[in-house]
Amino acid sequence: MRLSPTTGLGLGAILSLAALALTRPPPWARAASGHLPVRVPTPDPGAAVHAARRMNRAAGVIAASVLADSAVEHYRGSFHNKAMVIPLVTATLSLAASLHGNGDRQAAAHRLRDCIYAAAALTGLAGTGFHLFNISQKPGGFSWQNLFYSAPLGAPAALILSGLMGFLAERVRDTVPGQPPTIGGLSAGRVVAAVTTLGLLGTVGEAGLLHFRGAYHDPFMYLPVTVPPLTAASIGHAALGRTHRRRPLTRLWLRFTALLGFAGTGFHIVGVARNMGGWRNWRQNVLNGPPIPAPPSFTGLALAGLAALGLMQDHPDD
Amino acid sequence: MTDRYPAYDVLAKRWTESWNEATRKVIDRRLAVPREPRFFSASEWRTLGALCDRILPQPKDRPPVPLPAYVDQKITDGRLDGYRYAEIPPQGEAWRRGLAALEAASQEAHGASFHALSAERQDGLLHRMQQGDLTGEAWGGMPCDLFFEHRVIPDITHAYYAHPTAWSEIGFGGPASPRGYVRMGLDRRDPWEAVEATCGKEEARARRNNSRVV
Repeated sequence: MRLSPTTGLGLGAILSLAALALTRPPPWARAASGHLPVRVPTPDPGAAVHAARRMNRAAGVIAASVLADSAVEHYRGSFHNKAMVIPLVTATLSLAASLHGNGDRQAAAHRLRDCIYAAAALTGLAGTGFHLFNISQKPGGFSWQNLFYSAPLGAPAALILSGLMGFLAERVRDTVPGQPPTIGGLSAGRVVAAVTTLGLLGTVGEAGLLHFRGAYHDPFMYLPVTVPPLTAASIGHAALGRTHRRRPLTRLWLRFTALLGFAGTGFHIVGVARNMGGWRNWRQNVLNGPPIPAPPSFTGLALAGLAALGLMQDHPDD
Repeated sequence: MTDRYPAYDVLAKRWTESWNEATRKVIDRRLAVPREPRFFSASEWRTLGALCDRILPQPKDRPPVPLPAYVDQKITDGRLDGYRYAEIPPQGEAWRRGLAALEAASQEAHGASFHALSAERQDGLLHRMQQGDLTGEAWGGMPCDLFFEHRVIPDITHAYYAHPTAWSEIGFGGPASPRGYVRMGLDRRDPWEAVEATCGKEEARARRNNSRVV
């Protein structure tokens, strides 16, 4: 929710009246510090919840991508190891928590959502470790062959990002009204921007590896290794730079990256069609062709980056 | 013979996405091979039939793979291996000479045609051929063991395993085009591959799955 000056003034007036009407501080304020937080300058109390809901959406998009991708790829792996159903469960829960968070306008973290997001991030971490172990056990160890064709490292890392983004959303939502949202003492906007930067770079690494495996046979395959790195540089610069700027160029890169995530799915659908037998032979080509659900991870990260820019603009710390 | 892939029939894939027009054409040509000799004479044909029955005995409860017909077709079509041993003449000539020499050895040893001998006597002669112990004018200088190893065995076994009946028997999926394989790891199976019945209690499950493999 971006406020125009008049709406802001009107809302401010209503809030002042409401504050006057309250003769005693609300319970969360008392529980937090024992005295009323400093009221000047008053940040918009709805802004943190709004940013948190945007981050819930980002976490949800990544969770949906991980859910569909791990369902397809682990089905391909015939659920050889029983643990291969775990990411399906945690990604589904992360998606459900994100939908719930998106509909929730309360300015307090939700315990169950918190647990789900933490579980998703831990599952992603364990999955990355397991995939690493898996590759190390293959003949040849960490060879190009195994990095190309064995369990991918980037896929479980996306589940970490979904869980982490949702977990950070709960921290932003938990902001004490009247105070700027912080995570571990740092400006929440900067933290989310930094996580987005790292997430984008990791996802670029995964796309780069697999598109290299595909020999960049289509020129559009260069897009996810050119656009998101620039976006990462831009949002990374924002994470370290001055906060109360609108940064239209960074927003443009992020929006383009978000679009690219969905376009990637479209390109991958075409890629499946170009395999022998096309969509008629979908039982093989969906597994053998480019992964259709993977690219929207970029969209999720770009949404998180846009939320981070909003947070930094709403709550400047310099 | 125990059925390791119960209810699996590779020909059931004919009208599924596992096969396309090109696949169907190739398989049809293979199934429509003429059952009469085009290259061999009637007597050579009888000897060849008896020889094939000893190299690859086939169960009686299904139509046999027409092995002599495939050997004949390979020669008629002039499909060569790309190499040959200097002591062995070109494939058609080698087969003619080898079959005639085997017939001569049979007459000499048992006073009867090779195709009329008992299975044990046929095996005895083939064993001697494999050991290089058959000699005589009829061989024309061609070492019988080389003929056995590089003509008899490859031509007959390659013909057998080129036939869909053998594919169903060994659980082979048939041509990998247009459908390929997705699960490449050891002991991994794509849903369109045959299910092996590893022990008795698994047979019902394998039979059920194999009837669905397309």
